[in-house]
Amino acid sequence: MLPVDPATIPDPAPASRPGDSSFEQTALPWLDAVYRFARSLARNEADADDLVQETFLRALRAWHTFHADGDCRRWLFAICHNAHLGGIRQAGRRPAAVDGDIDSLPAVLLHHLAVKDGTDELLARLDLRPALSRALATLSEPFRAVVLLVDGEGHTYTSAAEVLGVPVGTVRSRLFRARRLLQESLFACARDAGLTTEPPLSDSR
Amino acid sequence: MTNAVLDRVEQMDCQTAMRQLWDYLDTELTEARALAMRAHLVTCGPCYGHYDFARHFLDALEAQLQAQVAPRILHARVLGALRAEGFQPQFGEV
Repeated sequence: MLPVDPATIPDPAPASRPGDSSFEQTALPWLDAVYRFARSLARNEADADDLVQETFLRALRAWHTFHADGDCRRWLFAICHNAHLGGIRQAGRRPAAVDGDIDSLPAVLLHHLAVKDGTDELLARLDLRPALSRALATLSEPFRAVVLLVDGEGHTYTSAAEVLGVPVGTVRSRLFRARRLLQESLFACARDAGLTTEPPLSDSR
Repeated sequence: MTNAVLDRVEQMDCQTAMRQLWDYLDTELTEARALAMRAHLVTCGPCYGHYDFARHFLDALEAQLQAQVAPRILHARVLGALRAEGFQPQFGEV
């Protein structure tokens, strides 16, 4: 028998697997959304990129378990979150314990004070985009994740709870606290801009 | 909302309304509670002010979050990793 150099053996042409086409059309269009969610979970951009790749690899391997009429984005988000938790466990880190707000009253009271001292009016003149960007960066992961799901991607509380594997009440309280923290940052930003040094008009009358 | 309709909906005080502000904006209230909330907001200036601020805040937040898209290089990297697993895209671009 003639010796055969393995390098000369052509790779068998990979057969197109059933489901590749539906994966491409149903799962891959959510890459930007998964990226946004991964950015809310991961500590930095490189970790987020790894998380996105890991999510789609896991999704491809499990594609046969996805129901065609299911919510693919939610399914991908749940995979992404599980992959993130797996990474946290491997790194020996523990998710930070978080307290939430019981309802929207703390945020309303915050706004009430901002109206009284004139910060609210000054905030209206501020470019919110950079201020919001900085404020979002200061939120810790459990808060960022729920804000991204509900406020960014329009999930209901129930849907976000399913993705994160936590009770609906936890989503709600984290979301409410996160929004209040963001608003606090925005008001602080308006004050830092040196805009609140003038006394509010209502006090000068 | 007409006075006749307002007469039929549940009366809501300011504190109750403001405790439910986020739930209302997230359309997580029951129909009856949402109706009572709407009725309160159209008749209460200060609460409407808080509602209006919260609504604009959420709109700005959504726009900010939605503006973030994955870099093209990440699309290519993910596609490359999937191909290495045997995935064969039919249409090419992710």
